[in-house]
Amino acid sequence: MSTTTMGITAAPDLGEVLPPRKQRGKIGMFIYRHPTIFVGGLLLFIILCIGVFAPLLFTTDPTALAPARRTRAPNAQYWFGTDMLGRDVYSRVLYGTRISLIVGFSVAVVASVVGMFIGLTSGFIRQVDAIVMRVMDGLQSIPGILLAIALMALTRASVENVIVAIAVTQVPPVSRLVRSVVLSLREQPYVEAAVAAGTRMPVIIIKHILPNTLAPVSVQATFICASAMLTEATLSFIGAGTPPIIPSWGNIMAEGRALWQVKPYIVFFPAAFLSVTVLAVNLLGDGLRDALDPRLAKRI
Amino acid sequence: MWAYAIRRIIATIPVMGIVALFVFSLLYLAPGDPAAIIAGDQATPADVERIRASLGLDRPFLVRFLEWLWNVLNGDLGVSIFTNLPVAHMIKQRIEPTLSLMVLTLTFAISFAVPMGVVAAWKQGKWVDRLVMVVAVLGFSVPVFVVGYVLAYTFALQLDWFPVQGYTPITAGLGPWINNLALPAVALGSAFIALLARITRATMLEVLSQDYVRTAKAKGVDQKTILFVHGLKNAAVPIVTIIGLGFAGLIGGAVVTESVFAIPGVGRLVVDAILRRDYPVIQGVVLMFSFVYVIVNLGVDLLYTVFDPRIRY
Amino acid sequence: MKRRELISGVAAGLAMPAIARAQGARVLKFVPQANLSSMDAVAGTQYVVRNAALMVWDTLYGVNAKLEPQPQMCEGHEASPDLKTWTFKLRPGLKFHDGGAVTTRDVIASLERWMVRDTMGQMIKGRLDALEAIDDRIFRFRLNKPFAKMLFALGKNNAPVALIMPERIAKTDPFKLISEYVGSGPMKFNTSEWVPGSKAVFEKFADYSVRPEAGEWLAGGKRMYFDRVEWLIPSDAATAGAALQNGEVDWWETPLPDLVPLLKRNRNINLDISDPLGNIGSLRFNHLQPPFNDVRARRAVLMALSQADYMQAVVGDNPDLWKESASYFTPGTAAYTDAGGEILKGKRDIDGAKKLLAEAGLLGAKVTLVVAMDVAITKAEGEVTADLLKKIGFDVDFVATDWGTVGARRAKKDPPSQGGWNIFHTWHAGADCVNPAPYTALDAGGDKAWFGWPKSDGVQKAIADWYDAPDAAAEKAAMAAINRLSFENVTYAPTGFFLMYQAWRSNVTGVVKAPFPVFWGVQKS
Repeated sequence: MSTTTMGITAAPDLGEVLPPRKQRGKIGMFIYRHPTIFVGGLLLFIILCIGVFAPLLFTTDPTALAPARRTRAPNAQYWFGTDMLGRDVYSRVLYGTRISLIVGFSVAVVASVVGMFIGLTSGFIRQVDAIVMRVMDGLQSIPGILLAIALMALTRASVENVIVAIAVTQVPPVSRLVRSVVLSLREQPYVEAAVAAGTRMPVIIIKHILPNTLAPVSVQATFICASAMLTEATLSFIGAGTPPIIPSWGNIMAEGRALWQVKPYIVFFPAAFLSVTVLAVNLLGDGLRDALDPRLAKRI
Repeated sequence: MWAYAIRRIIATIPVMGIVALFVFSLLYLAPGDPAAIIAGDQATPADVERIRASLGLDRPFLVRFLEWLWNVLNGDLGVSIFTNLPVAHMIKQRIEPTLSLMVLTLTFAISFAVPMGVVAAWKQGKWVDRLVMVVAVLGFSVPVFVVGYVLAYTFALQLDWFPVQGYTPITAGLGPWINNLALPAVALGSAFIALLARITRATMLEVLSQDYVRTAKAKGVDQKTILFVHGLKNAAVPIVTIIGLGFAGLIGGAVVTESVFAIPGVGRLVVDAILRRDYPVIQGVVLMFSFVYVIVNLGVDLLYTVFDPRIRY
Repeated sequence: MKRRELISGVAAGLAMPAIARAQGARVLKFVPQANLSSMDAVAGTQYVVRNAALMVWDTLYGVNAKLEPQPQMCEGHEASPDLKTWTFKLRPGLKFHDGGAVTTRDVIASLERWMVRDTMGQMIKGRLDALEAIDDRIFRFRLNKPFAKMLFALGKNNAPVALIMPERIAKTDPFKLISEYVGSGPMKFNTSEWVPGSKAVFEKFADYSVRPEAGEWLAGGKRMYFDRVEWLIPSDAATAGAALQNGEVDWWETPLPDLVPLLKRNRNINLDISDPLGNIGSLRFNHLQPPFNDVRARRAVLMALSQADYMQAVVGDNPDLWKESASYFTPGTAAYTDAGGEILKGKRDIDGAKKLLAEAGLLGAKVTLVVAMDVAITKAEGEVTADLLKKIGFDVDFVATDWGTVGARRAKKDPPSQGGWNIFHTWHAGADCVNPAPYTALDAGGDKAWFGWPKSDGVQKAIADWYDAPDAAAEKAAMAAINRLSFENVTYAPTGFFLMYQAWRSNVTGVVKAPFPVFWGVQKS
């Protein structure tokens, strides 16, 4: 099953794709087999478009103040209403999409790349392994949000620092995962054979090890992406995240929380966008895991 | 078994050492000179230098780290820059609400999530199963504070069943204590329930597909007995593991939940400390929670040996 | 019985004992305007600290609702006809919370500490020949120049307040915070229950010697009907509002204006303007650090500043709650003047401001804006200012922090890069801005002035003229000069005049209008 799905996700021959009927059948089959990938992917694509094309979607300057038109309920002009400083919540939420996606994707990429590097290194070099894994143990023993809070307290609030702070909390699980894959592959006959044949280490890693870590790491990365989005919103909400003048969903909610009883829409819209986005990424992750790693899927 | 337990306990020492090193570096690297803060704004540079020397701030990193570690081991977590109170005292003042919230949340989450997961596995593929899975994915995706506000709005303000905020000490009675913590516990528990229900369902499915369960089924052993005796017993290990791992999320969630419901706990303390950049407080709370987390996971590992004596490190 | 109580009653088996309920009437739960992070209303000038300190410490004199000083700890006084010698006699039987008697030694030590920090105190110190004890109950000021406003100085309600502490505490360096909270006021401060950021507890002082007169503001008998006053600091305004609606707290000092309509609909809640003298919003510049050490930078901000923007952001949509006021003084009071305030009136001139900044070579200059995010008023002011500064071409460094930290940081004269600041926001109670005497923020004495350290000899001379004014007309002329010169030098930028509500449960009676919460005389059924 693993190989067939890989076949679909990898670029197929043009000749296979061209006949329209067959193609529709394949897509239909794919949706049928992996409904969560389809739904999650579609939702995420829509949200991505919203983020990228935010300036074209009838938005105004999301930071423009106008206290004279403050706390308007959603109406024809201000679709999601205005906040307590008269800023357009619709524009803020749409632009906020960018922050969430940037943070989510960047953390996933940074944590995966760093985690893979550390995992590969400690999987292959015994002397490094003992020390690095103890450090990872230590890092993992600090609850994620607290670690991020502590790191944010050290630096100035900025999107880059939020990304780094959250990524640090996600590196240990990735490196652990990669290390375990490496350790199991090292015992495989074909790797042992390659070593015996005198193939150089980097070649072994690139040819045999790396491809096998890609599937589990990409599944993990999706979940990291979802959790990073939630963490960013949480950090911003408690005042330790993105600087308050940048419209991120967490910041909009933090702004609106004083009024949640009388003007619930200020919190509602960013909350809904955040939840749907995280849901989409989680669905995608679930689906990818089922598709790429049935063994793992059964376990969790 | 005892040998394993002792080895496992010893293994936590280097971990705690690394945590301590990291937490100490936090204060070491923190911007702002503690000597200048203590000296006050009327002080001359010479005064600051004198205070710096008297505090021993001019000594090397390692010396200071070891001294700090010694103090921590003696229960001295330093003094808050902001209130001038000892951090250990501030944490002690606020530990009860946080512990209460966590205990209640865990109790609540386990008593809901495990039956949910079992039922979902039993009715695999049926609508109950799907509903449980949908609830589980939602629980993952909605931030704790949003759940908190929705609950507070509905059950406290509209229906007036529970208080909106605050904390009643357990000494005032079990009823008021639970009453005051019910909404926060549900809010905090939502993500945990999601995680736990999924894991329970997955492990139950695996157990139910094992040969001996099939044999039992074939022998005509009744469904419920299979589920709760064979199934749950064997699913206990992964479930306990997840409770240990999920504890980190619980701690993070408590920080936010305490802010939403104005619970005077350690989480509120750290959130207030962020805005003030009160590093000793942040440091103390991070250290304390990490310690709790390590201990919980140690406990979980030791529990394994009870559930499944075959497990070896 | 509400369902909520029913549930808790059932769960507890037996509900709380009846005694506990009866005790509820002896405990007042109060939500203050901000977190109480320190307890020194002489070294610090935050209103929230002052409000707490007024329960714990007593004053020699105390102003009534007409701001007339009345004897409080003093039995009476004697002033020489030339107003150079002032002799005071303490009431008998005054005691501190630790049981010690209040003597003139305590009074003199307390006044000496206060005179260093307070503007009126500095004025007394400047003409002081001696402050001496005649015996344990009588003490005397000997001045080398007359000082007519002595009683007001000793009895005024704005910080630094001339609070009387035991000598050992009063010996604390005036620039360091006291660390022992023993006074002779009607309430004792319970240090062991103090959880900064969450709770502060005051307990009735049994040995307090109540004056026989009716209590009014700081004057007369301070009768406490509560054994405990608990200050509860909520995490945000929404939580405070919800708690008040549910009866979990009794009195909320500064309800968020946006929640006022909601609270008004609740029959169990009373709302009223807390103080008709209102408040004046303040954008405070640091006059020592660039770019605002250049008066052109300060004036550029004034040219573009729209008070309407600030006021709507601060108090919301209700136009009855605010007005524009091109003045440093309280609108609606006898001596009000807006002389020289043209720069705040009419169309706002963003381009003019930019041009002025360009001339000064300050376009793109970095401004460190320190904003207390936990106080709704300062948060709103800060966000409007950030927008304004960006529009006129400054590079804004928005430092989000809490009110306690602003209080500490604003005392630093260092450059912003070394922990100093360029702008912070606050507000001044209208009661403190009726004339220059109680008005700390108006002083332009440079290094000795209030945070921001504005320096203008013209303003200082006009203030001195007001003190020496022989009649009302001369006082008025002096005030006009102060206002004009203060705008010229831009001591600070007034962001408008606004009124605030206070809200309390309807079973609480005796809440009065005042520029600070008056706890004596309040009862709960």
